[in-house]
Amino acid sequence: MNALPNRRVEDWKYSDLRNAVDEVTVVAAPVAAWSVLSADGGVEIADLPEIAPRGTHGAMAETALARAKAGPYVRVPRGEAGAIHLALTEGGHGRAVIVVEEGASLFLRETVSARDFANVAADIVLGAHARLTHLRFAPANAVAQVADYAVRVAGGASYIAHFANFGGRLSRTELHIALEGEGAQAHLSGVAVLEGSHADVTTHVTHSVADTTSTQLFKYVAGGHGRGVYQGKVTVAPGADGSDSRQTAKGILLHDRAEINLKPELEILADDVKCAHGAAVGDLDADSLFYLRSRGIPQTEARALLMRAFLGDAVEAIADEAARADVWRAVEAALESLS
Amino acid sequence: MLEIKDLHAAVDGKEILKGLTLSVGAGEVHAIMGPNGSGKSTLSYVLAGREGYEITSGTIRYNGEDLAGMSPDQRAARGIFLAMQYPVEIPGVTTLTFLKTALNAQRRARGEKEVDAVGVLRLVREKAKALQISEEMLKRALNVGFSGGEKKRLEILQMALFEPKLAILDETDSGLDIDALKLVADGVNALRRPDRAMLVITHYQRLLDYIVPDRVHVLSAGRIIKEGGKELAHELEAKGYAQIVKDAA
Repeated sequence: MNALPNRRVEDWKYSDLRNAVDEVTVVAAPVAAWSVLSADGGVEIADLPEIAPRGTHGAMAETALARAKAGPYVRVPRGEAGAIHLALTEGGHGRAVIVVEEGASLFLRETVSARDFANVAADIVLGAHARLTHLRFAPANAVAQVADYAVRVAGGASYIAHFANFGGRLSRTELHIALEGEGAQAHLSGVAVLEGSHADVTTHVTHSVADTTSTQLFKYVAGGHGRGVYQGKVTVAPGADGSDSRQTAKGILLHDRAEINLKPELEILADDVKCAHGAAVGDLDADSLFYLRSRGIPQTEARALLMRAFLGDAVEAIADEAARADVWRAVEAALESLS
Repeated sequence: MLEIKDLHAAVDGKEILKGLTLSVGAGEVHAIMGPNGSGKSTLSYVLAGREGYEITSGTIRYNGEDLAGMSPDQRAARGIFLAMQYPVEIPGVTTLTFLKTALNAQRRARGEKEVDAVGVLRLVREKAKALQISEEMLKRALNVGFSGGEKKRLEILQMALFEPKLAILDETDSGLDIDALKLVADGVNALRRPDRAMLVITHYQRLLDYIVPDRVHVLSAGRIIKEGGKELAHELEAKGYAQIVKDAA
């Protein structure tokens, strides 16, 4: 195994894994365990096939791919629709493969309940006109966890994902998304509420062909020693004309020791593309806070209301009502315990 | 109801109010007029308890209680309401949710029973009609995309809903055309009551044609330099601030 990625490595600059977990733990880690909490519709669940897809992954995924020979293989056959709720119950090195075939659709809920070191590499493959709605829910914990997704999206297919992060000693979510066919779309959103914990979402979306669309909306609130990281790179490949990409990342710092690093990045190698990105970190707006308080709303409640409003559009991106309500509940509980 | 004595107040260490004395009784409407930079908005923020607006000396007593050290929300619960010159936009909070949260926060602080969602909606609907505030507006995020007139009307709706004892209207006329001004003034006049005092802060006499004050005070360089009845507003309009300031010196 190579040395653990650390702050000297450019895209791990804000997430030093070497400081969050020792190498012995990583080497000795078992194979991660999953459980299927529910499955509906045309979902097939099997063990990993011998030959599984392997997309582009980040630095830690090599170890996961090498160590984890077992893991869930979820497949929705052509034209079928289904839903599955997976939980990562025990940490270690993990592997998962999700295939949504042509014209099929899947709602994938993923809950991280493991309370120990985890390093998961997942491959997601969407056939033509397939649709995957993905919610990853990572409650707060005190360990280092890495999840690395390689997502391949065929023509006319959509990958719609939301990442609700409550942080850990180090929490790193990497997404390597390739929009490989005309009309392919990726819509990513996420929230992180961090109190003395760390959460990093690093994305790389590649518009490989013409007329592909990607949007990203990430909102972070950090109190205490909380640290939020968003690194979003969008590459528009030569010839991928008519690509449309938007990235927004915003953070609110509640404490002077909290930190939020937002780094949107564009690499455009085509003509006639629409690409926009924006990032901003600030405090709660003093005018808004005074306005609410002057209407009788006490400080704590007024602050919570403003933070909830700030996170609102990112949470509201979750289309499934029950899932959205779950995330709201977790967000509100986390906001209440912020300092 | 409101007794301000020799009030000195500073913002960022700079003294803005320099010995302001003012007394407003229940049922009275007082106008504070003054040129830009005279301290009008500072007075409204000091009364509402905004952070950063520091009372350096003097006192503000409201119904016998000293306001110093009381938070903005405590003052609101005691019946002080400030209609702001620039109401803030808060994306993500619907207007109706905000009204319900604020109303119930005030009621809770006073030990009163909270009003449920249906009750709030009924109260709001009843008051919104006269101010021509539509249901659709109430469903929108607070002040987001509202015109200047809509924002000011919503301020008056809040005043009607919260039923304050002391209402301070800070430049409520700014940015309003004459129709919007009339609508807002009618809303305010409908709320005049024997147990409610109002402090109308304005640069121009125009608003006072519609909200006729009992007393007019001229504020200049942080102090009241002239007082009179409603006719003083017309005198100001005719002579201009410079002349009045000169006369008073």
